[in-house]
Amino acid sequence: MILRRRSTRTAALLAALALLAGAAVLSVGVGAHTIAPAQVLRAVLWPGDSADHLVVRDIRLPRAALAVAVGAALAVAGALVQVLTRNPLAEPGILGVTAGAGFAVTLGAAAGVAGGAPLELGVAVLGAAAAAALVGSVGHGSPLRLVLTGVALSSVLAGISLGLRLLLPEVFDRYRFWAVGSLAGREQAETAPALLVIGVGVGCALLLGRQLNAVSLGEDTAAGLGVRVAPVRAAAFLLVTVLAGAATALAGPILFVGLIVPHLVRPLAGASVPWLTAFAAAVGPVLLLLADVGSRLLLPTGELPVAIVTALLGGPVLIWAVRR
Amino acid sequence: MRIARTALATAAALTLGLTAGCAGGKAGPDGAAAATRVFAADNGDVTIPAAPKRVVATGYAVPALLEASAPLVGVSTWNRGIPLMGEADRATYEKLPKVAGEQAAETNYEAVAQADPDLIVIGVPKPALADIDMKRLEAIAPVVAIGPSVPKAWRELSRRQADAAGSLAAFDAVRAEYDKKAAAGAQKYAAVLPKLRLAHLGAYGEVGKGNFQREFNGSWGTNVAQDLGANYYGEVKVRGGGSKDVSEYPSVEELSTAFAQADALTYSVAADGSLPAPVKYVLDSRLWKNLPAVKAGRVFPLRYTEAATYRSALRTLDAADAAFAPLLTK
Repeated sequence: MILRRRSTRTAALLAALALLAGAAVLSVGVGAHTIAPAQVLRAVLWPGDSADHLVVRDIRLPRAALAVAVGAALAVAGALVQVLTRNPLAEPGILGVTAGAGFAVTLGAAAGVAGGAPLELGVAVLGAAAAAALVGSVGHGSPLRLVLTGVALSSVLAGISLGLRLLLPEVFDRYRFWAVGSLAGREQAETAPALLVIGVGVGCALLLGRQLNAVSLGEDTAAGLGVRVAPVRAAAFLLVTVLAGAATALAGPILFVGLIVPHLVRPLAGASVPWLTAFAAAVGPVLLLLADVGSRLLLPTGELPVAIVTALLGGPVLIWAVRR
Repeated sequence: MRIARTALATAAALTLGLTAGCAGGKAGPDGAAAATRVFAADNGDVTIPAAPKRVVATGYAVPALLEASAPLVGVSTWNRGIPLMGEADRATYEKLPKVAGEQAAETNYEAVAQADPDLIVIGVPKPALADIDMKRLEAIAPVVAIGPSVPKAWRELSRRQADAAGSLAAFDAVRAEYDKKAAAGAQKYAAVLPKLRLAHLGAYGEVGKGNFQREFNGSWGTNVAQDLGANYYGEVKVRGGGSKDVSEYPSVEELSTAFAQADALTYSVAADGSLPAPVKYVLDSRLWKNLPAVKAGRVFPLRYTEAATYRSALRTLDAADAAFAPLLTK
């Protein structure tokens, strides 16, 4: 069932935003420390110095904000990369972009380059761009080759990371975080630059939607509609690397969000890239917020990194997408 | 002091030699009798030389046998213990061939064989033994596995390791020194420490998982302070075996629940006094700063909490004494 009428799509988008609000409330309300809903509300509206209020203000709210930003960035990057490559299996994680960003941050941090948040962000974007360029140059021409190249690159980078961790355990123990993405323990980190970049990036992706719509119809048609294909493609490619890089700088490598979300929202968006991008920006955060809540509840003691939950969800979705 | 130690070691060696001579023996290739004895280890009863001449040690057995002046011919790397080693032990450690890495799985069997040991002492936890090809090691020399269980058991384990390597005399001398210092410290703090409800923040929380390590009585961070009279209240919610019987990893959200009842708090710091990342993560949070013990200024950093031998624990005692000193002036 594909929604075609604008009013129906608008209603669906509003419903997605309502769902996003609900998931955010759940994320702020649920945690290892039980807090009554009324206390959670008071902590948000009239914060005090009690332990309950500090948990909500200092831990849960920043974590929910992080999930919204990272979910939106990965989902929009996934939608863009699927449109760009015309490959339904494409996503920044599968194409090695996320692994490239994480690996670059690990390497940069160990070398003392990526000390602060702005530098970390720059290094992550560079890593994402290098990985995207490598996968694109080796795997172009065939969607399957593109995916295989991305998966192979991710494995190679994981292998090198492991080797480095074994060689330099003291240094790399501190960056174990980059092996598996997580939203926990980031509330004290300087996240403002990356959040700003993601906000601007998602906005630019929404603005670029109409041009990408024309490009998705084919280069000749796009040219006939007065769209300059090469600059649009370059801008979209830049947005994918910036969004995936910023998301990885914030939360480490989280796979499959960029794959699952475009598949989930395509029946709502149809062939419209602007609608696809808008729905991805709304549903991506919902998926990551719910996965993060799941990561806190799945184990009786402690919690799982959210990337493990998205991988558990994403594996079956990848198989489903391949078989379709 | 050194003369006394040497005399003790010589006397012990003579005693052991005589005892071993009576205990059993078998004919060596040159026809001479090589005295042996049966040693109860984690891997069963093992027949070992009564007075080993060439010992390979791995894991927690490395610092224990260095301190006991055992006749080592090869060791695993033991980077975590380097800051706790004395100068002489450090120099010996640096000179010895490294036959294994930090992990049990990184054992270099050819290097072990090349060291030509007559005894191999493995000091890794029981689950890690699965990563070692025991049959291959046993083909080189008798293998005794004496690994850590709960952290406070290092006292007994290091003694058994020294016993297996035939170096009990030197071991007992250091232990006596430790016991004397601990008793003096306990007397010094008798009026204050036992009355406090203490809680300890360990160095092995995981920032990426948003948790912290709480250590109870008998854990790495607490067991030496206990010898001064400290008492860490509470116990783990779920016993996980080994160190997880005495430490747990709650979410940072539970910081207040975990520590609000404490009169005073201690936390592990690195050997140079710097804060490990998991400790800094907690100390920088407003939840920590909001705790009653923190507001009251009753917070004490503890160095050298990884001590697993008596000589290194002497440093831990000194560090804990320095940390708790303000309690005597309040």
